Amino acid sequence: MIGIVVVSHSHALAEAAVALATEMVEATDLPRVAIAAGLDGETFGTDAAAVAEAVETVDSPDGVLVLVDLGSAVMSAEMALEFVNPELAERVVISSAPLVEGLVAAVVLASSGAALAAVVAEAQAGLAAKQSHLRETEFTRASGGDGGNASAETSSADSRETAAGRDAPDAGALSVEIEVGIPHGLHARPAAKLVSLVRRFDASVTLAHVTAADRQTSCDAASLSQVATLNARQGDRLLVSAVGTDAREVLDALAELAGRDFDEVAPSFSKAVEPDPLTADGAERSGTTGSGLDIALGAAIVADVEIDTSDYHPGDAALEATRSTVAVNAVEKALTALREDTARQVGIAEAEIFDAHLALTSDPDLLGLVATDIAAGRSAIEAWRQRLADVAGRFEALDDAYQRERAQDVREVERRLLESLIADGDAPSPASGWSAGVGEGRAAGPGILVIPELDAATAAALDADQVLGVVTRQGGATGHGVIVARSRGIPILTDAGERVDSVRAGALIGFDARTGEVWVEPDEEDAERLRAEIESRTQVRGRALATARKPASTLDGCRITVAANVTSVDDAASALAIGADGSGLVRTEVLFGAMTSAPSVEEQTQRFLAIAAAMDGKPITIRTWDVGGDKPLRFLSQPHELNPFLGERGLRLFRRQPEVLVDQLQAICRAARETQVKVMFPMVSSAGEVAWALDHLLEAAAKDSGGMPAGMHVGVMIEVPAAALMVRRIAADLDFVSIGTNDLTQYTMAAERGNAAVSHLVKALDPAVLRLVKLVCDEVPSTAGVAVCGDLASSPSGAVLLAGLGVRELSVVAPAVPEVKSALRRISLSDAEAVGQRALQASTADEVVALLESAQRTPHE
Amino acid sequence: MAEAVTVDAFVRWLKHFAETVHDSAGHLTQLDSAIGDADHGTNMDRGLKAVVGVLDTNGFDSPDALFKKVGMTLVSTVGGASGPLYGTFFLRFGSALQGVESIGSKELGKAFRAGVDGIVARGKAELEDKTMYDAWAPALEAFDQAAADGLAAALSAAASAAAEGRDATTDLLARKGRASYLGERSVGHQDPGATSTTMLLESAAATLV
Repeated sequence: MIGIVVVSHSHALAEAAVALATEMVEATDLPRVAIAAGLDGETFGTDAAAVAEAVETVDSPDGVLVLVDLGSAVMSAEMALEFVNPELAERVVISSAPLVEGLVAAVVLASSGAALAAVVAEAQAGLAAKQSHLRETEFTRASGGDGGNASAETSSADSRETAAGRDAPDAGALSVEIEVGIPHGLHARPAAKLVSLVRRFDASVTLAHVTAADRQTSCDAASLSQVATLNARQGDRLLVSAVGTDAREVLDALAELAGRDFDEVAPSFSKAVEPDPLTADGAERSGTTGSGLDIALGAAIVADVEIDTSDYHPGDAALEATRSTVAVNAVEKALTALREDTARQVGIAEAEIFDAHLALTSDPDLLGLVATDIAAGRSAIEAWRQRLADVAGRFEALDDAYQRERAQDVREVERRLLESLIADGDAPSPASGWSAGVGEGRAAGPGILVIPELDAATAAALDADQVLGVVTRQGGATGHGVIVARSRGIPILTDAGERVDSVRAGALIGFDARTGEVWVEPDEEDAERLRAEIESRTQVRGRALATARKPASTLDGCRITVAANVTSVDDAASALAIGADGSGLVRTEVLFGAMTSAPSVEEQTQRFLAIAAAMDGKPITIRTWDVGGDKPLRFLSQPHELNPFLGERGLRLFRRQPEVLVDQLQAICRAARETQVKVMFPMVSSAGEVAWALDHLLEAAAKDSGGMPAGMHVGVMIEVPAAALMVRRIAADLDFVSIGTNDLTQYTMAAERGNAAVSHLVKALDPAVLRLVKLVCDEVPSTAGVAVCGDLASSPSGAVLLAGLGVRELSVVAPAVPEVKSALRRISLSDAEAVGQRALQASTADEVVALLESAQRTPHE
Repeated sequence: MAEAVTVDAFVRWLKHFAETVHDSAGHLTQLDSAIGDADHGTNMDRGLKAVVGVLDTNGFDSPDALFKKVGMTLVSTVGGASGPLYGTFFLRFGSALQGVESIGSKELGKAFRAGVDGIVARGKAELEDKTMYDAWAPALEAFDQAAADGLAAALSAAASAAAEGRDATTDLLARKGRASYLGERSVGHQDPGATSTTMLLESAAATLV
């Protein structure tokens, strides 16, 4: 039987806690419990020597569990392990469990003769049980008002918590050991899978290290940040303990997930070396990947704007409270499942979108307000509609365009809740949302979804076999749903406005996202033209895919590098498979965006090396943290600014806190000593900033032996007109510059890119922007190259234009690689230059668009 | 060099430190009451009184025996976080001097560093967490830089650097210990641990040469 030591500042507190715990167990079964608490009976404090003595007193071959209160108790306990015999110290675990709950649970389980690891997990679960209990009861009380007891029956966790909490601790914890088999350990993505799985079951689940006692010992498996920071590495064994109704089921499911190596696909060279472009593009996964053609024609599937709630019959307050609870549970379950699917199929960053939704359905304030409304006699539907409309209204009143678009998240949650309420407790399918509201259209065959706006959930759940394309009436181009749809290759046209107001369900509708054109009930001639264009693009894409892995050289032999923008290891693997010549932009703020604390140097190094490996060793350009504006990072404090796009963005943010940047640079240097890596600093406005960045790069390089990695190219992004104008100075000591056309456009036009009201100005093809690109190509020192990593490079005609202006490296969204390469192969550089010259002479962006269209057709004829 | 530090000098150092802390106990506790649990002065005073008691009743034939006893006494009598931190410092400090025949500035510098490494390992503090390490780190650097100029210069440089480090803690945001619960409110108060650390180094400068 294990021994237990209680370390506390107060002797009285420790004695009382021991009395409370030992009361639970027959005296004959009691484990040995020793106290090291207080300096004497009255003086608060802890004493490492006393802890060491206590550990020696209760030592047994089965080990010793040390429970501590706060502050110096932890340090004294750690110090005590240095005082005792090292062999004894090996079998001692200092637990972070809450003192009283942990002690009670530990005494009870230890008395049964359980092993140390099991007792550790059980002690930790004491906290999880209390947490989940308090969440449940607070909500039960709030939603029931003073009206009745109905809601108590709806909370499945309630009965077990009460029974367990009153009479005995949860001695019935089940546990299973799993091994972490994946190369990089339980990092963010597998951790997210584990957490989403756990959240789907009615159980409190705890993870504890079995093999690595020196690391943080245990954590709540429902917390992504905790699991991801548990630091479970390959080969580590974890004890998974579960308490609750679904304890057995969740453990089985977790063991299975671990057995499947968390569905992680190791970036393997063999996969990358001989890819089949068609299957690598995802074509084998029916229904998951869109055409990638940016164009579609089909029958309109028109989603209702309002959910019809006229058949809803409100009950009394108790019934409404129950319905509300059931609906919230169902929606949370659906969202969590969606989050997991999205994490697996699309990416963690996209999956994080659902966190915003989940945060709403578990917001205690909001739940309290709804409960009060219901108690006051409103129906669940009225209460939720009103309260969520208030929240959406608050978002819409904000100054920041990006924030305003978050109102969409709120409306999406409202839609889900109302659907669930109407279904009266039937759990809506995970794909519920607009796409569920269009069942008839779906049955009739594939078509084009016409909706007010595309939320992320719907975008992730769309069946790409059935939805040929999406047209939204409103919503800017930066909505989460748009991002998800684009990354899936589903054609989407945003902000079509009144042009699609009158469209009937079933009517023929077509659009071309590249030109922004929409045809509602087109005449036969237009329809035929669209079909021809689709056919032509399909063939072009097919040909492009077939030759995607060959280099892109113009007819007159000028080689243009076509790399891909990537945000994950998976991205990198799929980009290589469709022909990317490396990555011209690794977005580190997205790569580590799921983390709540800054990743360590080693974590970053490993991730960079994994991306390089997935890219088959082709060069990757790592952009340092590009945070600020519309891109927050949870572990970096950022100022609240009135005008964040003109504030502390990108490199600027680190002048006050360079450490996080230096860590990253150190990781980049480490990766660069092993593989081809370029480093790139974002949001640079002056040569002084470049010098500052280079100083810190030198500092970071000097931290490891090897110093500045040989052959590592160093560059900056050109996103600000000032940087473009001064490129000769700015790039004097650099190997390359990379133009970010999206930001360069918004800063040149002084029009925020997320603000739909000025979207008519935000056009990368504006001659003003093109003139700056040309200036950069002309004036950059001959020792530095010019790349473009903005959206302009991702359209085949934009790529040709950029080559004509003098750009020799493009980094594009991965699905665009084949066609961009193909377009470059079909022209001669001199023709491209002629196009470039004419574009510079144009007066408007529209003129440039027309020019590119005619130029694109010429080579075919 | 003729300036080897003896066990007697170390005893004088510890007693001087104990006296300083005793005289400043109110001040230290006051600093701690602003951002902590108002016990740093009383805790340190209690611990150092016990140390003086030990020094008065025992003889020590080597620095490591002396500091081992001092460290263990502090561990068992201080009570708060300073117990394991100062305790660890003196234990490691003493170990570093084990078997050293003549203790000059180089040897003392190594011992300081070993002690401070112990503090960092124990408290997991980093620079600018608003802890005693913010006084120790500049002190070690200053000590090493001045070590070639002799022990007196090194100790005096270390004490000055510690005082600067201590003063700089006022503007820092606490990230460790009880003070970290206060978040932004911890800004504007000098850290008590950095304050007592500075006293330790000032006592050293006054007694070890």
